[in-house]
Amino acid sequence: MHRLHRLLAVWIERAASHNHWSRVSPRAKAIFALAALVAAYVAQTPSAALGVALVGVLVVWRGAGVPLRWYLRVAAGPLGFLLLSGASLLVSVAWESGGTLAWRTAPHALSEVAMVTARSVAALSALLTLVLTTPLAHLMALLRQLRLPEILLDLMVLCYRLIFVFSESCHDTLAAQTARLGFSSYGRSMRSLGLLVGSLAAQVALRARGLQWAADARCSDGSLRFLTPHFAHARRDTTIGVLAGLGLLLLARYLP
Amino acid sequence: MSAMFELRQVDYRYPDGRPGLQACSISLRRAGRHAILGPNGSGKTTLLQHLNGLLRPAAGAVHVDGALMDYGRRGLQAVRQQVGMVFQNPDRQLFSAHVYEDVSFGPLNLGLDEATVRQRVAQALEAVDMAAHADRPVHELSFGQKKRVCIAGVLAMQPRALLLDEPMAGLDMPMQTELAALLDRLHAQGVTVVLSSHDMDFAYRWADDIHLMATGRCVGSFAATALAQNTDALGAAAQPLPTAVRLHTALAGRGLLPAHPLLRSVEDVLAALPLSSPGLTSTPLTVASPIAGKLAP
Repeated sequence: MHRLHRLLAVWIERAASHNHWSRVSPRAKAIFALAALVAAYVAQTPSAALGVALVGVLVVWRGAGVPLRWYLRVAAGPLGFLLLSGASLLVSVAWESGGTLAWRTAPHALSEVAMVTARSVAALSALLTLVLTTPLAHLMALLRQLRLPEILLDLMVLCYRLIFVFSESCHDTLAAQTARLGFSSYGRSMRSLGLLVGSLAAQVALRARGLQWAADARCSDGSLRFLTPHFAHARRDTTIGVLAGLGLLLLARYLP
Repeated sequence: MSAMFELRQVDYRYPDGRPGLQACSISLRRAGRHAILGPNGSGKTTLLQHLNGLLRPAAGAVHVDGALMDYGRRGLQAVRQQVGMVFQNPDRQLFSAHVYEDVSFGPLNLGLDEATVRQRVAQALEAVDMAAHADRPVHELSFGQKKRVCIAGVLAMQPRALLLDEPMAGLDMPMQTELAALLDRLHAQGVTVVLSSHDMDFAYRWADDIHLMATGRCVGSFAATALAQNTDALGAAAQPLPTAVRLHTALAGRGLLPAHPLLRSVEDVLAALPLSSPGLTSTPLTVASPIAGKLAP
């Protein structure tokens, strides 16, 4: 388990399962996240959009009690991608007529790029308010209520579970290869990596058969049915989610 | 007492052509505690998978509760409602991300209403002492906890027979003791419990009946109390005599304990020792060789 912390999914699941709002109705959180997403587009200035993003961060950090370190760990990847994308809109590399490469900037597009990037950051923050406070089981219960096709939900269940199973298998195989000098040179590393991929492919087939047997043994008819979690204060939570979402929309609209 | 499971001359071959079971005949009586013992590759898991229809024999017949196994969809569903199976590796059985979700999978497949499923999930988690972990993600659990969730997932279906493939593998001693107590509670409720194991000491201590396997053949079935009379079968299945039997025999040879009845655990043997032992000499106590067949007649 000790190398699982490198996986983004592990940090998302950890935050989602261990926060003050993990037992709050997912519908309430989804409504708020949806409102935050709309607020990102309602915001008229980059500062307003960044204000919406900041509210999202504060809600998760101070409200739900997700440690800021965990938040940043999850947000770092997509945030870096966003900033890189913004920079690539401003700066481009092109061939000059003399056959040399030259940098070109587009300062006139700065305000538009700033707006797009700020809105994207706000949208990212909106999504994180949902995924970092809601365990996957609750999200799936919500998606079931929204009538998402069963086949997609089944795939989500299996993929999510297998992420953890295979990351452990991968780690064990890597450790075994490393212990026998499998990565002591470039050539050996390539060979070990190939063997790892081959071994994982074989394990996929074995696991698939194992899971099918396990499902058959429990009277499965092909569909993966699970108990939907019960939320004691769903109505109250939803009301709060709606009010908070409306507040955020107003904030986005009137922030300078 | 009538048989819950009966295999008659069952043959099975794995997809690669290796023999899995060879002319295996075995009868497991209803509401009993059965231990299936044999070395690796002897066919223990394959036998268990025949008992709830996961595998279909190439030849021979499997009877469940007196009726020939029906391998049609409805027939298999009916058998699997009655016969629950816990696999050896929990990661191959658990496919939901959260504990209560996975436990609810079986009872929901039985078509029960939500309230009943919730009640059964709560009871099953309580029975395996995992109620406090109901909301936890599966990947955060230890191996032993995952195994308990697997057992809860089957208990929630309230089967009449429970099959467990190497249930003690990977569990520490306190957890093994807890699991044995749980199996005893189920047995007291009339559930037929069948488990495969490598642990002769546990099997001898716990089971009512012992069944031995070697190279896909069922080489012996007898009551655990009759183990001493079946040393040939133990030898054929490369199984050692239980430590309790070896210790008891050695102590009986020194005149410290009566030779009969044989006690079932080392703890029982130690508890039966007299407080003062006038016959005890300075000669070191040697316990008989673990190889079957060397038990003093």
